[in-house]
Amino acid sequence: MTRKSLPRHATVASIAIVAVGIALSGCGASGSSSTNANGVTNLKMIMEPGPEADSMSKLVDAFNSGQGAKDKIHVEIDQLSRTDTFAKEAALMSTQSSDYDIYRTTSYLVAQHAPYLEPLTLNGDNYFKAPVESLQVDGKQYGIPLDPSVHLLYYRTDLIDQMLKDAPTYEKISQDVLGKKLEPKSPDQWTWDDYIASAAYFTKKYNPNSPTPYGTQLQAKNLLYNAMVWDDVLWGLGGNWLNSAGQPDLTSTAAQNAVNVYRTVYTKGLTAADSDQAEFPETEAALGSGNAAFAVQWNAGYAQLNDASKSPKTAGKIGIAPVPGGKTHVHALSLGVNKYGKHTSQAQEFIKYLDDPATMGSYVGDGGIASMPKALSTKTDPNTAALNKALSGGSFSEPALPKAFDVYTALANDLSAAWVGQGDVSSALAKANADVAKLAGK
Amino acid sequence: MTAPSSLTTRPTIEGRKGSRRRRPANRGPARWILSAPLLVFLALFVAFPIVYGVQSALTSKTLLDPTPTWVGLGNFGAVLTDAGFWHSALFTLLYTVVVTGFELAFGFGLALLFDKDFPGKKFLLSAVILPIMIAPALMGIMFRLLLNSNIGLLPGFLHSIGVDVPLLGAGTVVPMLMGLDVLQWTPFTFLLFHAALQSVPGELHEAAQLDRANYPRFVVSILIPLMVPTIFIAGFLRAIDAFRTFDTINVLTSGGPGDNTTTLSIYIYKILSAGNFGTASAAALIVALIMLPLVPVVVRRITRGAV
Repeated sequence: MTRKSLPRHATVASIAIVAVGIALSGCGASGSSSTNANGVTNLKMIMEPGPEADSMSKLVDAFNSGQGAKDKIHVEIDQLSRTDTFAKEAALMSTQSSDYDIYRTTSYLVAQHAPYLEPLTLNGDNYFKAPVESLQVDGKQYGIPLDPSVHLLYYRTDLIDQMLKDAPTYEKISQDVLGKKLEPKSPDQWTWDDYIASAAYFTKKYNPNSPTPYGTQLQAKNLLYNAMVWDDVLWGLGGNWLNSAGQPDLTSTAAQNAVNVYRTVYTKGLTAADSDQAEFPETEAALGSGNAAFAVQWNAGYAQLNDASKSPKTAGKIGIAPVPGGKTHVHALSLGVNKYGKHTSQAQEFIKYLDDPATMGSYVGDGGIASMPKALSTKTDPNTAALNKALSGGSFSEPALPKAFDVYTALANDLSAAWVGQGDVSSALAKANADVAKLAGK
Repeated sequence: MTAPSSLTTRPTIEGRKGSRRRRPANRGPARWILSAPLLVFLALFVAFPIVYGVQSALTSKTLLDPTPTWVGLGNFGAVLTDAGFWHSALFTLLYTVVVTGFELAFGFGLALLFDKDFPGKKFLLSAVILPIMIAPALMGIMFRLLLNSNIGLLPGFLHSIGVDVPLLGAGTVVPMLMGLDVLQWTPFTFLLFHAALQSVPGELHEAAQLDRANYPRFVVSILIPLMVPTIFIAGFLRAIDAFRTFDTINVLTSGGPGDNTTTLSIYIYKILSAGNFGTASAAALIVALIMLPLVPVVVRRITRGAV
């Protein structure tokens, strides 16, 4: 009897198939949404780790044990990475994945995410206007507004009091730096010229008696979030990304002036020279260390500045005013329903649970920030009051272009060098204008 | 007396050919079985990504329009006509040349220093190689704190001795980034040179002393020529790594101000973050093509050294 062996190619193919099988067995999505034997639907939701997820976890626990138990829906939060949540979501969305039922979205990404999200029906009257509108695309709501972010002017009350009593020095410095004599004013009345003059007053280079080395801290790093801060100056000076005809408008006089505000602050040395690499944490450091007297900062910055254990130099001495010029960018973190999810109706039920002032009141109680005036007014600390005021009037959301995220990135890329005195302002704005035209399809 | 022929005679070509002919008959399946893990690995992690990357580069696929549309070489054209790409390519090239040069010079200098005996050598050796143990992204975060003018240790120290230099200011950020790369990766070249110096025969030192050659002359005329293969490998490895630098610079500057510190990797990452998958793939392939001609040169050099 002769021994019959497998043909060589068959052997190789078998080994290859087994190896590929083993390799691919680890590639599947773990624990995707499902319905168990008791008929309870398990919804999976994406969030980034941080205070928002902590507050939402408490809300989800309450839902799972109350409304969810009744409706046989159980929500589970999957916390991805603080920095890369949206990049990971982009990969999931591009493959039309059904792994998650509820996606994290936000005002500046919602237009990009909209093709993968189901429209929502919200009770719009319960919300501040700007956050709810910032999550609409072509008139449809794709995200429920949560945790709104605005900018506020945080200043040292003890130092500003001192400045208000020293008009002669202030007038001289404003004449030297701006070429015009200005009087010291309370921060809630500042224009951008007042901001520059006050920054000069608190800069040792211009005022040897200044208690701080620099007046302010710019956030001028090449970062899309810093473009949002600069937009405050642009809008405050009457500018916009687009003009009334919907055409790019970044070569306007307002845009020139807005770049020049940053450029003056940086090149005159009214902010630390490494402001060109500064963002949120650096601004906290500048104020908290006592190196700057005031700065435009995200509303999330107040807690640390007013915490005596973290910022002993500023705790109890932080005043809050609107951004000079009276306009602040607003965006809201949000949740949307995955159009390709397996349990869209249950996901809509959970969104409906969130779309309620009482639920959002609990969210605020758990440390979250609501986009509903009624829910937000349950907290009366000065920062929440200032946020409430900014959201009620003076806040704006940039045009909801499908490529808004790219526009912010392009603005930071094209203008951040001009902000810190490098290159020519007109050329930088012309480049930004061309990029906005391309991205907006104009 | 002559040595036995079996010890002195090399196998004939016929003999080697004969042995080669026999191997496939006996070892063919085993060869495939043993190679299978590698082949599967290469297919999954090299061939598939390359084919997928080429396919992506030839199509337009974005988050807004996820259905791939054939655009031929359009994405390549978009990248190659983008001034930002060329700016980042030039910056990357400058960065690579400068940091590799310094890392080779400092690494070699340190290796010469550690070739001598001195007190505390072992402790210092551990201290010197410490930076390569740190993840580049963590290095970026550490130096973001250390160099911060408000709370940073280094600006604080410099201020205390009367020196106020903005370490991450618009005018100093490029040399500072290069300095950080040199700080982190000089230990790598040092280790390669240190290992190579251990293999230099002691007789050469003695011969040089007999010929009254001083130490600098010994280094220039004997050690450096002997170290050329190591210098080549160290330079190549560092240049490849520096060319694709991402983590530290992205954490510290995000490529700014403007695109002054944008490397090619950051350039590609920004396109990808915006959800433009086709363009990002094209940019990545162009960068791979830039690097490709170096591979045969290095392989030839390495194999020549090995034979």
